[in-house]
Amino acid sequence: MRTPQIELRNVGVHYYTFDQGINSIKDYVMKFGFTRPFARRKVLDGVDLQVLPGEVLGILGRNGTGKSSLLRCVAGILRSYTGTVEVRGSIAPMLAIGSGIEMELTGIENIKLICSLMGTGGADIERTIDGIIAFSELSREDLQRQVKTYSTGMISRLSFSIAIAKVPDILLIDEVLAVGDAGFQRKCLDRITAIKESGCTILFVSHGADDVRRICTRAICLDQGRIVFDGEVEPAIQRYEQLFV
Amino acid sequence: MKSDPRVIRSLVAKDFKLKYKQSVLGFFWGLITPLVFLLIFTTVFSHAFVSIRNYALFVLTGLIFWQFFSNATNQSIQSFIRNAGIIKTINIPIHHFPLAAVVNEVAALLLSFIPFTILMLFFGLDPSWHFILLLPAVFLFALTTYGLGMALGVLNIYLRDVSILWNTIAPALFYLSPIAYDDSIVPERYLPLIKSNPLYHFFGVFRDILYANTVPSLTSWGIITGIALVAYIAGRTVLHKLDKGIISNL
Repeated sequence: MRTPQIELRNVGVHYYTFDQGINSIKDYVMKFGFTRPFARRKVLDGVDLQVLPGEVLGILGRNGTGKSSLLRCVAGILRSYTGTVEVRGSIAPMLAIGSGIEMELTGIENIKLICSLMGTGGADIERTIDGIIAFSELSREDLQRQVKTYSTGMISRLSFSIAIAKVPDILLIDEVLAVGDAGFQRKCLDRITAIKESGCTILFVSHGADDVRRICTRAICLDQGRIVFDGEVEPAIQRYEQLFV
Repeated sequence: MKSDPRVIRSLVAKDFKLKYKQSVLGFFWGLITPLVFLLIFTTVFSHAFVSIRNYALFVLTGLIFWQFFSNATNQSIQSFIRNAGIIKTINIPIHHFPLAAVVNEVAALLLSFIPFTILMLFFGLDPSWHFILLLPAVFLFALTTYGLGMALGVLNIYLRDVSILWNTIAPALFYLSPIAYDDSIVPERYLPLIKSNPLYHFFGVFRDILYANTVPSLTSWGIITGIALVAYIAGRTVLHKLDKGIISNL
């Protein structure tokens, strides 16, 4: 029996957000005593999950059912209110479109910044950066421009290339394949497959059933912060599609 | 949460780049603001406050540090919202963001000392060995600013009026602090009020060193060390109490 790489036990995450349109101190004072200023919304509710090393777990579910929050919990960005999260191994940052990209900086400045924030690179940072540039297929001129002048597809190329520059123990992918042209999407999938074959554990959030079929070895389906299905890929996709009937 | 010097260094470098992106004068803006105030104060007040010897040097030795305080609190309050994208994606200890903002402003302050020292020499600054005491004094001032900026910054994530409110309080604090005037013109009964402002004690120490050319008393050092520790602990406490809701409100 292998020890799981990721182990979530009874994980609950709440979001405290301002309800009743309270967004200023005036509203707060006016409405205080009548309504609770903070509304507590359950985002994840009693999630139990074990992921073994080398597994590629597809995460399916409607928008707003806690898929990104689940990834953030695993990444240690979001702390759970109940339960425990245990992760063994290094994690690449959660990969979402334009994640952590600073619009005012140039492409190359962003590459250097995010690499150093993630602690990638180190001694061979130059080689890592060259790898990122090559993978992104962005020209040297593009990389010298501020990212705010980029198209959405170019931004996703940049952030994807940065996140997969170094193969981590655990890769978290959050709906990144939707943008980018057909050629780059295929390249990304090939890269993810290569990372998978190197033995990396992957959590893969996607709405694309075909992408999940192609790379995942197992899938879960989330609904309203709970895991409603955990098992084979094909039945998970069926369960996911039932949500919309 | 452990601090990572490499991450802080990258954040500081980023803030420094972003601060002056697409501006022609860049760093020099940081010098212009205090100079404008210096000009206003010396023309308006130097006749009113004739009791203050070498009024230009007196005002400048206050303005330099006010400029730091004002920028550093603003930058650290905004640091969380400005870095929302990174905070939501990469697992970095959250206190790094206001810390990087304050370190960035300390760097700007130290850089601004080069032109300002020339100006102060022109106004009759008397160079002396105990200027080295500015280093611990600036450190304690920065620690105070960091604690305050961190607390206000976290609160600002929940209620965005905090930063707006601070924009109103800061100018009031400016006139409550002995920058353009000294104790001698404050009526006796208002002195306790003036001294209850933590900034009063910092300006006192900076003036002792640069203007009065004396070593600040042990009592002064004790007071500013106490203020710095209280501010730092308060900042960390607020952050710790409220950190679970940060992501959902960013």
